[in-house]
Amino acid sequence: MNTITPISNSTTVQSGEAILSTQGLVLAYGAFRAVDGVDLQIRQGTVHTVIGPNGAGKTSLFHCLTGERRPSAGRILFGGHDVTRSSAHGRVGIGMARSFQITSLFQNLSVRENLRLASQGRDGHRALTFWRAEESKRCHLDQADEVLERLQLTARAGVPAGDLSHGQQRVLEVGMALCGRPKLLLLDEPTSGMGIDDIPIMTNLIAELGKELTVMLIEHNMGIVMSISDRITVMHQGRILVEGTPEQVRSDDRVRAAYLGECA
Amino acid sequence: MMTIPTTRKPSILGGVTLIALAAVILMPLLLPSVTLATEILIFALAALACNLLLGYTGLLSFGQGIFFGIGAYSSALVMIHWQFSLFGALTVAMTCGGAIAALVGALAIRRTGIYFVMLTLAFSQMVYFLAYTLSDWTGGDNGLLDVPRPPVSLGGMTLLDLTDSRAFYGFVAILFMLIFIGARRVIHSPFGTTLVAIRENENRASAVGYDTRHFKLLAFTLSGVVTGLAGALYAMMLNFAPLSNIELMMSENILIMTIIGGSGSLLGSLLGAGSIIMLGDLLSEIWPRWMLLLGVALIFVVLFMRGGLWGGIEALIERWKERKAHQQPSAAAAREEAGQ
Repeated sequence: MNTITPISNSTTVQSGEAILSTQGLVLAYGAFRAVDGVDLQIRQGTVHTVIGPNGAGKTSLFHCLTGERRPSAGRILFGGHDVTRSSAHGRVGIGMARSFQITSLFQNLSVRENLRLASQGRDGHRALTFWRAEESKRCHLDQADEVLERLQLTARAGVPAGDLSHGQQRVLEVGMALCGRPKLLLLDEPTSGMGIDDIPIMTNLIAELGKELTVMLIEHNMGIVMSISDRITVMHQGRILVEGTPEQVRSDDRVRAAYLGECA
Repeated sequence: MMTIPTTRKPSILGGVTLIALAAVILMPLLLPSVTLATEILIFALAALACNLLLGYTGLLSFGQGIFFGIGAYSSALVMIHWQFSLFGALTVAMTCGGAIAALVGALAIRRTGIYFVMLTLAFSQMVYFLAYTLSDWTGGDNGLLDVPRPPVSLGGMTLLDLTDSRAFYGFVAILFMLIFIGARRVIHSPFGTTLVAIRENENRASAVGYDTRHFKLLAFTLSGVVTGLAGALYAMMLNFAPLSNIELMMSENILIMTIIGGSGSLLGSLLGAGSIIMLGDLLSEIWPRWMLLLGVALIFVVLFMRGGLWGGIEALIERWKERKAHQQPSAAAAREEAGQ
């Protein structure tokens, strides 16, 4: 059951305030703590990237935020609501949307239908109506077309999603999340597996989205991270090591030691 | 090549519905007996309901026999003991079928994949033995005898007597068409399109905001309602509700009809039910082990015709269209040349 009450307009988060925050978040697998007491603040209207060496706990943290995993301890607050225990689908209705690290689309359905279904998902239980035509909800088709336009995939609207190039599938992956009209977009390695030529499309898209909504992402590609992020959180061994602007992070010795040193 | 395809869907009354209507009208004329045609429509209903789960939601349920048997027993019992009217009995069958399906569904969909299938199997076995044990109600091994076939009546006034097999066919045919049209509506509804999304990628469906359990549960319930109706009609047709209605074998038969006809297409269900029942009718007289052929047919379809019979027909039509499209421009070119 959906335990979240909708956010009323009066409580909408002001720009600059934290739209998402975690308090003492822990995700333990047996004795191993993949996420070990994380206090993260994601401020409204920012592009916030979480980086860290392999095994730092980024993906585990992401799974807690999306509802894929229940945290072992701590709390997750979104727009003033406690979403720690709410389901993955329940988070969509209040304005959280996610993309997957490994492309996860409705492969055999058309690109447009993928987006229409994603728009319709925001209806939650109202989508259970089985006596009405799908076209009766014109708004979802319009929303799908709007996002198609934005992703520059209009020409490919009728193609099965599985037939798109990998880069286009990654873009569609983000588009699916956009269809939920989220306040916060959670992106799990949006450029993973993308060719060098396709990456700018994705970075432009993210930068553009960052102007309208809050984006939290996990990313490996340092060039992208430094260019698009407003804030960066560096994780190491399940904890937050450093948080700050790209410049601060770039010049931090601890980060160099833990992470950048590896790549440089 | 770069045109934007419009997702224009044919109206639920056109296209496929017309083909189904033609089949329903032609069947009693072409088949050796009207009763055979009636049986085909009844099982086509059951296959249709199974298709909603298997073809559209991706759920392989061995519970269909439960709903079929429950429909048969519940309608028969209220007619025998409480003299329920035709529509009264059918309503009871649909209600019971839907309620039991909701119950079985609610427990089974807590698991996915193989565990889901095993749960439906377990329910199927359990309900069979329950029906076997409650022989005071169900007649046990002997089945429930003397099931009436009440006339179509409204407010105590008899409108149409159904004892004649042709009249009963007409009644079943009307119900079938109504359910067929209803099923097309369901499939092209927000709910139906979401079922396909769940079949395609359940994780993604829940990530975009659907509580997939509720969708599966409603699919189960609708499937149970229609299967219960089919069971009741079958009992009325036979004037008898055998124990075999609720056996695992019944679930298998319904599943096989759905798969051979083509899961994921409504006409496929009619085609599947039709071909298997006709095959059985033709071959059972010649060769008592004809079910062996059914196994061969199933293996063939699963290996070579993933879309089932209807999928095969569609592929043929597609190929024929393509060939025509190829021929036409070349014919036009030839004409042009000839003109010059």
